[in-house]
Amino acid sequence: MKTVTFRKEVQEQLDLIKTADIVVGIPSFNNARTIGHVVRAVQAGLAKYFPDRKSVLVNSDGGSTDKTLDVVKETSIEDYSSILLHHRVEPLFRIATPYSGLPGKGSAFRTIFEVAEALDAKACVVVDSDLRSITPEWIELLVKPVLEDGFDYVAPLYHRHKYDGTITNSIVYPLTRALYGKRVRQPIGGDFGFSGKLAKFYLTKDVWQTDVARFGIDIWMTTTAIANQFRVTQSFLGAKIHDAKDPSADLSSMLYQVVGATFELMETYADVWKPVRGSEPVPAFGFEYTVGLEQVNVNTGRMLNLFREGLKNLREIWTDVLGLGDFREVERIGLLGAKEFRFPLGLWTRVIYDYAIAFHEKKLPAEHLIKSLTPLYLGKTASFILEVEQMGQQEAEAEIEKLCLEFEKNKEYLITCWK
Amino acid sequence: MTDFLNLILEPLQELFLRFKAFLPNLLAMLVIVIAGILLARLLRAVFVRFLKAINFDSWSDRMGMTTLLRKGDLWAKPALALGAIVFWALVIVVLMTGLSALKISAIDQLVAQFFMYLPRVFSAVLILIVGYVLAGFISRAMLIAAVNSGFHYAKLLAEAIRLLLTVLILAMVLEQLQVAPGIVLAAFSIIFGGIVAALAISFGVGGIEAAKRMIERETVEKRANGAKDDIEHI
Repeated sequence: MKTVTFRKEVQEQLDLIKTADIVVGIPSFNNARTIGHVVRAVQAGLAKYFPDRKSVLVNSDGGSTDKTLDVVKETSIEDYSSILLHHRVEPLFRIATPYSGLPGKGSAFRTIFEVAEALDAKACVVVDSDLRSITPEWIELLVKPVLEDGFDYVAPLYHRHKYDGTITNSIVYPLTRALYGKRVRQPIGGDFGFSGKLAKFYLTKDVWQTDVARFGIDIWMTTTAIANQFRVTQSFLGAKIHDAKDPSADLSSMLYQVVGATFELMETYADVWKPVRGSEPVPAFGFEYTVGLEQVNVNTGRMLNLFREGLKNLREIWTDVLGLGDFREVERIGLLGAKEFRFPLGLWTRVIYDYAIAFHEKKLPAEHLIKSLTPLYLGKTASFILEVEQMGQQEAEAEIEKLCLEFEKNKEYLITCWK
Repeated sequence: MTDFLNLILEPLQELFLRFKAFLPNLLAMLVIVIAGILLARLLRAVFVRFLKAINFDSWSDRMGMTTLLRKGDLWAKPALALGAIVFWALVIVVLMTGLSALKISAIDQLVAQFFMYLPRVFSAVLILIVGYVLAGFISRAMLIAAVNSGFHYAKLLAEAIRLLLTVLILAMVLEQLQVAPGIVLAAFSIIFGGIVAALAISFGVGGIEAAKRMIERETVEKRANGAKDDIEHI
């Protein structure tokens, strides 16, 4: 497999550092405003919990024009005593470099994996550069299970607003859980810990010209770890609050990259998921506590309008993918008013399974197929918001649990139709 | 008397000799035609079986080719229809080859012209197939993108794009076949320009009210939907 060629100055740094215990990667693109806080949190976390471990901070940048790289190089904690810490025993090395390959988070991660391999790192962590809620404890929670408990992959567990993470809650989590039988609650959380062994394993896969190089990286990392029998765990990190996503990141493209990568993995690991029935919990680290979350504004009217536009214009595609029976059912809920609009769980489960089967059978070009799911997804999201509007966080979570059980219950349908 | 008989017999003898010389050519033509038709039937059967094996019928359903056949009042399955097209194309080639075996200069010329025209037919068919698939792909991509951005006339837009592309492709096919190229070019310019002019006039003059309503509807809904979502989908 072709590897990334490092820039001369990066190679020189690597030659100088030689080996490392911990590699912390931060992918970035024009995050000068927020990355300083993330770097400080990482630095404090390493100083507090791993003072005697040789650590390297890698900023893999997508060609920022707002001096993100400079912020990473210049940010440091001047006065450790102010945060009740002593200076580190081992120095913290920093590598800030632009990545090569397709523009996207996955390509940024690839460079981080390459650095981890070059330094023969024991544990690696990746955290987003726009996080506002990251604390030094995140580093401990993502690294310790790898270094001290022998886990290979640490997925995050967050408290998020009940309306947030809807692609995760309505598609990726229930589907991944039903397929592979592991209850990893945030499979595309974005902040992960993993062993050096797993980083090396990731590099053996030739996926860097696909959607994995973009938004598909998170689900790819989680699924690859689960499907290849690596030891997986979760760590409770508290709240996830970060800067608003790039407004130009269009929903249907995001959906295409994430769901496309998930469906693609279903092809790769068909022999792994077919025999799996039900699901089991994944061990979790960290002290769970309640956190205050920011208000999230929603506009269900707009979502329902888009759902109805889809119903009016995508009739042929939906009939072809869902079959006439389920299409009629979708048509029926389309007639419901805004207040009583509900997307039945069983129907939604079949919609996702039918799309997975249509992807497998190559009924349409992948991009057209998955982008045509957008109005249905918005209908489901609007239905969920209306349903949990008056509910607390835990009751909303119970609704997601019901959906997961429905996915597990209907898995037989997927297996029967998957030829 | 002998001279008179010779006068009658000589042309007959000449005719007989010519027929005798022509007979092998005729037999050769018949053999070529019969064997060719049998071979064409065999190739049709093999071709149809191959198309069925690669699920050509369901692919045609998905690409909308079956619908197109139905619209043209063709009710055979796409694989059988394509098999029939291949069969008749082979029969024409066989007939032309058979006719050339007759070694008649006028027919030879015709056959030569036919074979010189064949590459044009092939490239026209290729343009038609690729163009049809491409027009479907572009119009579907446009439809999905327009629906996802909440545009009310998504289907109308997608169908208009498909129509314009189809006109363009047909003009290219006819141009390739050298069917009255001057007329085709003029007709294409008139139709294409006409569609654009008609849209401009209908929006600018005739359909000013309808256009106003459409724009107002989009604006009102955009305003109503103005409250942005803060939801993080991932």
